[in-house]
Amino acid sequence: MIAIYVCAVIAVYAALRVITERNTMRKLPFLNVVSFAVTGIIALLLPHPITIAAAAAYFVGSTLESNAIASTWSGGIRKP
Amino acid sequence: MLDEPIRILIAALICWFNFMIIDLIFKLPERGGVSGATAIAQEVEKGGGKLNGGYMMGNIVSSPDASAGTLLASCGVYCAGLPGGLFAALLVYIGNRICYDPGYAGTTGCITATFIVYGAVQSGWFAASDFIAGMVIAILTIQGLSSVYASRLIARLWKIRCRLLRGCT
Amino acid sequence: MVRGYQETMNDIVMVASVLLILIGMTAAIFNRDPFDKLISLSVLIAGVFPFIVERGFLDVAIATALIAPLSTIFTLMVCRRVQV
Repeated sequence: MIAIYVCAVIAVYAALRVITERNTMRKLPFLNVVSFAVTGIIALLLPHPITIAAAAAYFVGSTLESNAIASTWSGGIRKP
Repeated sequence: MLDEPIRILIAALICWFNFMIIDLIFKLPERGGVSGATAIAQEVEKGGGKLNGGYMMGNIVSSPDASAGTLLASCGVYCAGLPGGLFAALLVYIGNRICYDPGYAGTTGCITATFIVYGAVQSGWFAASDFIAGMVIAILTIQGLSSVYASRLIARLWKIRCRLLRGCT
Repeated sequence: MVRGYQETMNDIVMVASVLLILIGMTAAIFNRDPFDKLISLSVLIAGVFPFIVERGFLDVAIATALIAPLSTIFTLMVCRRVQV
């Protein structure tokens, strides 16, 4: 089953692109790829219904974190 | 069934079209949803890309959109079949609300992807794991290779979408 | 909680996770800008997750997945207040 190997290789590649990129905001799309790949790895390691919740929680959490980093860097969270 | 590498590449194409079409329909490249997405778009433009492409890349980073929906739908179908995919759609909907996103691109992408993946698995040609790897490859081509060329491609597709369906500014 | 489906993790996946942890750690040490450090910490915690899930600790995984981003958000809130 090579699907999990594909996800692992893409995760390492994207992590290397994250640290070699100079511009802070342009790192965030590569970090997003790392999150996608690790979510795939989590789901492929343990096929159990609760794994969906773990993968979704990890993905939404990492998206929220990137969103917070980008918003704080750009100088403001939009006031409601 | 075909060989696994070919299945993964075909699944990648299917996932790419699914999330691109849904995101273009929901007007993701039009403007940045939150201030973080706008910041990413401006930095992409400074690096030589197009602003509309940057808006879509920023929106993908800031909130679960159809790409996240497709990935979680594939994980859901892999772990628990059709109910798993629909449960993933519910989690994507909750994730959208947590990230202050008023749109439905993520939930719609998740539901369509659930039916596509379930149908593909039932037809016997694919395994659900192919779609998980395929979606990761698809997002790699948009976010992970070159922000300049990806944003130019998205901007071109956005122009085509605006000509086909009306409703963009 | 749920005992491991694969009794031994594939070697490639384990090596990839360890690489993620090492890459995130070295980048977090050598980056100057605090936002870059936070991004590198995100890469590091991404590498830790497969180890948690592989052992079957799905409840620990869900809890960590919700707590780690919250700690980043609180760090950002504190830093913003100090600047302003």
